[in-house]
Amino acid sequence: MTATDLNPTRRSSVLRMAGGGIHFDGVKAVDGVTIEVRSGEVLGLIGPNGSGKTSTLNLLSGMLKASAGSISIDDQDITRLSMRQRARRGVVRTFQSGRVFGRLTVWENVEAAALGGGLRRPAARALTAEIIEELGLEPVAHDLAQQLTAGRVRTAAIARALATGPRFLLLDEPAAGQNESEAVELITAIRGFAQRRDCGVLLVEHDMSVVMGTCDRLHVLDSGRTVVEGEPATVRSDPRVIEIYFGKRH
Amino acid sequence: MKNQNRLVAAVSTPAILIGLVLVVALIGAYGDVTTARVATLALVSVVFVVGLSVFSGNSGVMSFGHVAFMAAGAYTTAYLTIPVPLKKSLFSDLPGWLSWLADVHTSFPVALLAGAVVAGVVGLVTAPVVARLSGLQSGIATLAMLMVTYNVLNSWTEVTRGSSSMIGIPRGTTAWWAFAVAALAVVVAWGYRCSRGGLQLRASREDFWAAEAAGIAVGRHRAIAWVISAMLCGVAGALYAGYLTSFNVNGFFLAATFSFVVMIVLGGYLSLSGAVVGALAVSALQEVLRRFQDGQFTGGSALPAGVADLIVAGVLLVVLVKAPYGLMGVRELRLPGSRRRAAEPAPEAEREPAHAG
Repeated sequence: MTATDLNPTRRSSVLRMAGGGIHFDGVKAVDGVTIEVRSGEVLGLIGPNGSGKTSTLNLLSGMLKASAGSISIDDQDITRLSMRQRARRGVVRTFQSGRVFGRLTVWENVEAAALGGGLRRPAARALTAEIIEELGLEPVAHDLAQQLTAGRVRTAAIARALATGPRFLLLDEPAAGQNESEAVELITAIRGFAQRRDCGVLLVEHDMSVVMGTCDRLHVLDSGRTVVEGEPATVRSDPRVIEIYFGKRH
Repeated sequence: MKNQNRLVAAVSTPAILIGLVLVVALIGAYGDVTTARVATLALVSVVFVVGLSVFSGNSGVMSFGHVAFMAAGAYTTAYLTIPVPLKKSLFSDLPGWLSWLADVHTSFPVALLAGAVVAGVVGLVTAPVVARLSGLQSGIATLAMLMVTYNVLNSWTEVTRGSSSMIGIPRGTTAWWAFAVAALAVVVAWGYRCSRGGLQLRASREDFWAAEAAGIAVGRHRAIAWVISAMLCGVAGALYAGYLTSFNVNGFFLAATFSFVVMIVLGGYLSLSGAVVGALAVSALQEVLRRFQDGQFTGGSALPAGVADLIVAGVLLVVLVKAPYGLMGVRELRLPGSRRRAAEPAPEAEREPAHAG
C-alpha cells in the first residue's frame, strides 16, 4: 500500500454486518442487527445507554467475535478475521477512552499507526505530517500523549485512526465529554476528512442533537435490536424513536 | 538546519552511552587487576542488559529467561575455543553424532559471532511462544525456558560437563573487546528502537489492543525483538566465557537472572539509557558492597555472607516503590539542546486545539 492509496480514486464499497449477534452470559447485547456503512457517507449509530452501540462497533471491528451473523466488505467475508487483519483491510476503529500510546509522542502515535497500516517509512512520515497538520496537532506533536488534555487525546486518537488508512472508520463516541458545538465541529471535521478520502464513517453517539446535522443516515438501536434506519429527519419523527429516545427520557 | 538537528537528536543518546562505556573500558584497561575485572565484567553486563532491553524495553514484556541465551553463547565459546587436546580429554564421552565438536576450533572473534548465532537460533525456536504471550504468562514462560535450559545443561553431562565447571577457555575478552561489543550493542539496540519495527513494538507496549486496532502485527514484532535480543545476550555470554576462562552452569541461573533484572529495573527498563546506567550502577554497587561485606571498610571484620545481596534487594525495593520505572523512566540521556523539539517551529502560545481540517 502506498500513500496514494489513501486518495479518493477507489471504487466505493460497503462494510456490512448481516444478522450479527452476540450475547454475554445469556443476555443478548446485539441481536440480529443488519447494518451497512458505505464509503463516503457518515452513518450515525444511536440509541440509549446499553442498547448495543459499542458492541455493534466491536463486532464490526473484530474486537468481539460474532456468535451469529456475518461481516463482509463488499463480497469478501471478514467474519473470521482478527481486529488487526480487519484494520489491514481498512476497517479501523477508535476507542471511547482514546487509548493513545501514552509514553510515545503524538507524532510517534500517528507514525506507528501509519506503519501498522502497511506504509513504508518515508510514506508513513509524510502521512503523519499531513494528518498532524490537518488536525492542528503541531503544537503538541512532540509531547508525550499522556501529557495531553482530554480534548487533544481525542484528536490524537482520531489522527491515529486516520493514519492507519481507513476505508471504514468506526468512531466510538469521538466527542464524548465535549459540549454540543464542539462535538459538531469535531464531527464536521472528521466528515470532511473522510469524504476527501472516500472513507465510510460509523459514528457511535448517544446525543441525538449532535448526529442530526452531521450524519447522512441514522441507525437506531434499542436493547440490541434495530429500531429504525433512515435519513435523520425521518428517523427523528419516527414514533418508536420518540418513544425510546425522547418520550421515556424526557 | 532542521535535518542537522534531527541527526544530532538521533545520535546524541547512543553517543553519550558509548562515551559512558568508553570511560568504563579505560578503567578496565588501565586499572589494577581487581578494578579491571570489575570494569570488564560491568561491560559484559552492559551488553547483556542492553540485549534484554531490546526485547523488554520495547515490548514492555519482562523476561526472566534471557540468561539461557547467555549460557548458549558461553557454551558455544567454550566448545569453539578450548584447545582441541584439552577438549578431547574433557569430553571423552561425547555421543557419536556430536563427536565432531571435539575437533572444531575457531578464533575468539569467530566464537563471539557463533555465540550470537547459536543464541539467535534458540531465540528463533522460542519466539513463537513469546509472540503469543503477555504479562504474567510471558514471565512464567520465560522462567520455564530458563529452567529447561538449566536442567539440560546440568544433566547432559557428556556434552556440557553437567555441574562440573567448564575449564580451559583461552582468555579472549579484553576490556577493549568488551567495549567494542558494548558499543555495538548500544548501536544495534538504538537502531532497532528507532526502526519501524521498534516504533510499532513500543506502541504495542503502551496499549496492546489499540496497537492491534492500528494494524500493528504485535506478535511478529515481539518475535523479531526477541531474536535480536537473544543474539546480543549470546554475545554477552561469549564475552563472559572468554573473560573468566572457566564457568559453571550455576552461573546461568536464578542468581544471575536476579542480578540482571535488578540492573534493568533499577536503571529503567523503558529506556536504553536506563539499561546502560543500570548495568553500570549496579555493577559498581555490587563491588562496593562486596568489599564492604569482606570488611574492607570496617577495619577487616567481615560481615555475614549475604549482606551484600540483602542490600541490593533492599535498594531494588526502594527504587520500585519510589520510581517504578527506574532511574531513567522513559527519558534518554541527550546532549543539551538536542531534543527533537528544538528542530520544530516554536509552538504558538496558548493555541486552542483546532479540530478543523
